[in-house]
Amino acid sequence: MKKVLSLILVLALALACSFALAEDASYRVAYIARAQADSFAAWLANAVKEEADKYPDITVDVFDGQANDETENSLIENAITNQYDCIIIQPNNGEAQRPYAEQVVAAGIVCITTNARIDGVEGASSVDADPYEQAAVNARLALEMVPENATAVILRGPAGNFHADKRYEAWQTEFFEKRPDVKVVGDDYANWNKDEAMALMEDWVTANEQPIGLIASMNDNMAAGALEVVKDNPDYANVLTFGVDGTAEACLLIQEGRMTATCLQNAYELAELLLDTAHKLLTGEETEINTDVGNPLYTKDNVQELYDIHVQAGALE
Amino acid sequence: MQAKRSKANLWETLKSKYAIFLVLVVLFVICSLLNKNFLTWNNLTNISRQISVTTILAFGETLLIISGLLDLSNSSVLAFAGTLSVMAYKANGSMLLAILVSIAVAVFCNALNALMTTTFKAPAFIVTLAMQTMARGAALLLTAGQNVYQIGDYTILGQGSVWIIPTPILFMIFFFLVTRYILNDTRFGRSLYAIGGNEAAANASGIAVNKVKTGAYLINGVMVGMAAVLFMSRVNAGLPNGAQGYETEALTTAIIGGTSFTGGIGTAGGTIVGAFIIGFLNNIMNLTSVNSYLQQIIKGLIIALAVIYDIYAKNKRTRKKMGNIEDKQQAA
Amino acid sequence: MQAEIKLEVRDVTKLFPGVKALDHISFQVRRGTTHVLCGENGAGKSTLMKIINGIYTPDEGQILLDGQPVKIQNPIHARSLGISMVFQELSYVPEMTVAENIFLGRWPLDKLHRIDRAEMYRRAQALLDSQGLHYSPYEQLKNLTVSDIQMLEIIKAVSNDPQIVIMDEPTSAITEKETQKLFEMIRKLKEKGACVIYISHKLDEIFQIADEITVLRDGTMVDSKPASELDIDDVIQMMVGRRMENKYPYEEVPKGDVLLDVKNFNSSGVFRDINFHIRAGEIVGFAGLMGAGRTEVVRALFGLDPSDGGTVTIKGSAKTKLSVQGNIADGLVMLSEDRRRYGLVPIRSVMENVSLANLKKFIYKGHLHRREERDAVQEQCQRMNVKTPTLETTVEALSGGNQQKIVLAKWMEVNPDILLMDEPTRGIDVGAKYEIYKLMIELAKSGKALLMVSSELPELLGMCDRIYVLSQGRITGELKRSEFSAEKIMAYAIGTIQD
Repeated sequence: MKKVLSLILVLALALACSFALAEDASYRVAYIARAQADSFAAWLANAVKEEADKYPDITVDVFDGQANDETENSLIENAITNQYDCIIIQPNNGEAQRPYAEQVVAAGIVCITTNARIDGVEGASSVDADPYEQAAVNARLALEMVPENATAVILRGPAGNFHADKRYEAWQTEFFEKRPDVKVVGDDYANWNKDEAMALMEDWVTANEQPIGLIASMNDNMAAGALEVVKDNPDYANVLTFGVDGTAEACLLIQEGRMTATCLQNAYELAELLLDTAHKLLTGEETEINTDVGNPLYTKDNVQELYDIHVQAGALE
Repeated sequence: MQAKRSKANLWETLKSKYAIFLVLVVLFVICSLLNKNFLTWNNLTNISRQISVTTILAFGETLLIISGLLDLSNSSVLAFAGTLSVMAYKANGSMLLAILVSIAVAVFCNALNALMTTTFKAPAFIVTLAMQTMARGAALLLTAGQNVYQIGDYTILGQGSVWIIPTPILFMIFFFLVTRYILNDTRFGRSLYAIGGNEAAANASGIAVNKVKTGAYLINGVMVGMAAVLFMSRVNAGLPNGAQGYETEALTTAIIGGTSFTGGIGTAGGTIVGAFIIGFLNNIMNLTSVNSYLQQIIKGLIIALAVIYDIYAKNKRTRKKMGNIEDKQQAA
Repeated sequence: MQAEIKLEVRDVTKLFPGVKALDHISFQVRRGTTHVLCGENGAGKSTLMKIINGIYTPDEGQILLDGQPVKIQNPIHARSLGISMVFQELSYVPEMTVAENIFLGRWPLDKLHRIDRAEMYRRAQALLDSQGLHYSPYEQLKNLTVSDIQMLEIIKAVSNDPQIVIMDEPTSAITEKETQKLFEMIRKLKEKGACVIYISHKLDEIFQIADEITVLRDGTMVDSKPASELDIDDVIQMMVGRRMENKYPYEEVPKGDVLLDVKNFNSSGVFRDINFHIRAGEIVGFAGLMGAGRTEVVRALFGLDPSDGGTVTIKGSAKTKLSVQGNIADGLVMLSEDRRRYGLVPIRSVMENVSLANLKKFIYKGHLHRREERDAVQEQCQRMNVKTPTLETTVEALSGGNQQKIVLAKWMEVNPDILLMDEPTRGIDVGAKYEIYKLMIELAKSGKALLMVSSELPELLGMCDRIYVLSQGRITGELKRSEFSAEKIMAYAIGTIQD
């Protein structure tokens, strides 16, 4: 029984590997994703795969860094060993992946860092959306909108996460330091999760008689969670809520007038630019490219544009 | 004579047998004093709603741990079953179908768990850990890692209320009663205790050990499936990443509630008490805005203390019983 | 020197909530003697030993060592005072080797405070050799039999030259040969001037080694006398408070149909060609040395172990497959020799244990009727004379005799027709033994078929209608009651004569 089982396993593995080898194209690109379980990173990875289909001479393999520096670093090493022509790194933590990005360059492989870029890796290119700026555009808008002496809550991503920390830093620098009148009555980790944000928000609403005026969330998921809690609460009809990512859910919430603004990390745009950059570098058209996608802010006024993007991508109907 | 003794020792019995319940009462009183918002209908329903999903998982976990098994896959299976259920609802519009899909998927995953642990005698820890990875992978694959939105009236179960009681709480109470019934009033429940307490003896007493273990996993599957519907409906989305870490939360709940990790001991009442201990703790620390790093430390400490107190009280009881036996034997 | 008093227990009283477990107990143990402690379960022997070993502290009275009062804090303190104890319940680490277990917690260390493995195994080997034990110090404990482990436990206790050795039922799980080895060991200890406190239910062996005998009953002292002034009957009388007229309540019972018929029963490498039958109203014995295959045959019959070949006919219908559940349904049950492992769920209550095998009797439409269950269990416990404070008490808190009665009560609940009883009286006291014998006769009278496996020849001779003798996995002899003799059985058992 056991022998048969292990035989089947070995065969399956061999089959899977040979299929992987069978795909032959002139350029092999390894895309090392931060975490496939992180919905933005997964979106981006999907977009990269879709975009790659438009290039007959490029095949992309996606690897999952599982939000773990160790895993991500070993994936990069494996990709070098496997002699990919180009390695795209979406770092989990820029500093942790820096030496590995340098190894990629040293191995003579085209290296692109993205979302966020690892600065100053000689010989490497980058395509970026800057997490600091994504939150900063929200914070600057909030600066004008939040009434005096309002109370605020902050929903944070996982402790130690690069994007979470950068966005939090932006809110502190661009908003809270400039607005000492705003009192923070809740500041906690909801780890990007909607359900955790809901539990926190429920408790905060109970604990504060004065309705909370500002929900500063480090991503749209958590913002949507907080809004889920207060959706039928008349005291919270005017709560200002900011998020990052530009998810389909946030788009709908802004359309309904329940969410204030979100900054789009446009995965499609990033993917387009990434593949374009990769192609140019691989064909030798250029040797180093550093480029950025914008950090467009969507509010009620321009949300239709965001809606169109999602409809086009099939995420909304 | 027996009645007399039990009356005289009422407090003692209470202290030893229901030690963890006393911990909860003390915690409740302290919380009420710490923050005026704690003891309000709104807040108490909030807490109950917040703990409902993990508590339902904990009931399944309780049944399994009692019989010497374990489920580490419930969080992932929840995500997998839940997202499939949401998709089924979006495609078809029938809530009943959505619930059935969720339960069927969760029961299927647990049937695999059962097969591996009984037929192949693989340790439950490893089997369900493998299932955890597989089910999460399946959920992510299914949705390409993206949340499923616009789920419409799917939210009714998780967000609705019957009169003034939120539906998730009703489900939690329902599963509490089911678990209690299973453990106290059925042959199956007794078999769970016997298997967890001494599998060899249970087998030698004619209990169909593998059947009972399989049954425990299947019931766990039903609970996970229902918890999945409540979870997705509460968060108003199909979250393939949802419920991460719920397996530890459910385990902790059961263990705090006095379920013995070595099997053979545990009650439904204990588990729900454990759930409220965790619920009160999380809630009061948020209400009083304790620094979130500090929260983790305090939570860990209190959990450890509660369990130590419970064990201490139980040991005292056992020792007392030994004394009583000699007493009884002399009387006889 | 010989008369010098090493240990004195003076007026020791121990109170448990609401009761006196020990009531002013006094006795003296002299150097170089064996002091035997007798008493029924619950008489207070174990409590007394736990006080001497530092597990309990006395509420009144004193323990004197060499004439000096001492307060023994805990077992480690006791050990440092030269007291070591052999427990009835075996305590060992199954995954560790023999040597590691012998030196558990006091492993020999080298200069760098690392465990000196070479030294440890050398010393363990020497110890095993000196006691004539055949197994290797590198063997893992889990591979040894219960009796091997019990011997090891004894060696462990004597390995650090103690001045006082307490032995609680040391022979309950070992063979006759090993018992003689143990007695040899005790003699050597005595020669070195150590004293041995020996607790046992086996009255015949007590007299082989006892210098003095103290009898306890219900927590009080009955008497303490030199062994030479007593005989077995005296001791029994002192223990139970009355004279036991007949140790074995055997009665001639009319025999009925053959209820169990076993033909050419085989299990490759374990036993072969087993042929026997039991009639209604009959008590049949299985005699033989340890390892003769008696337990194995019984386990295979009950469906716990696999068998390959043979015909088993239960109440007239031949069984193609033997399974525990099928057997129970057919009215065949087995009482295991290892009741803690196969008989009981120690951490659960008396009630749950008793009703375990026949829960479906109390189920109506899937619902367990606890009232009815309780009544039935209560009745069964009364019938078996189980002594327990409540039905909710966990079984692990009860004495060995009571535990065995609970296993019996469990099977009585099933109302079986055929009972396979493997060592039904192992490790339980005279009173409880007698109760079990009486139950066996009662069952035989009501037309049940009983099989009794025992290593105690006297009880087989006393209780059985017929005895089969096994040797090396085969039945080598069969004796009717009129032909019973210990010599013949031994001859069959060691294989000097064969049918």
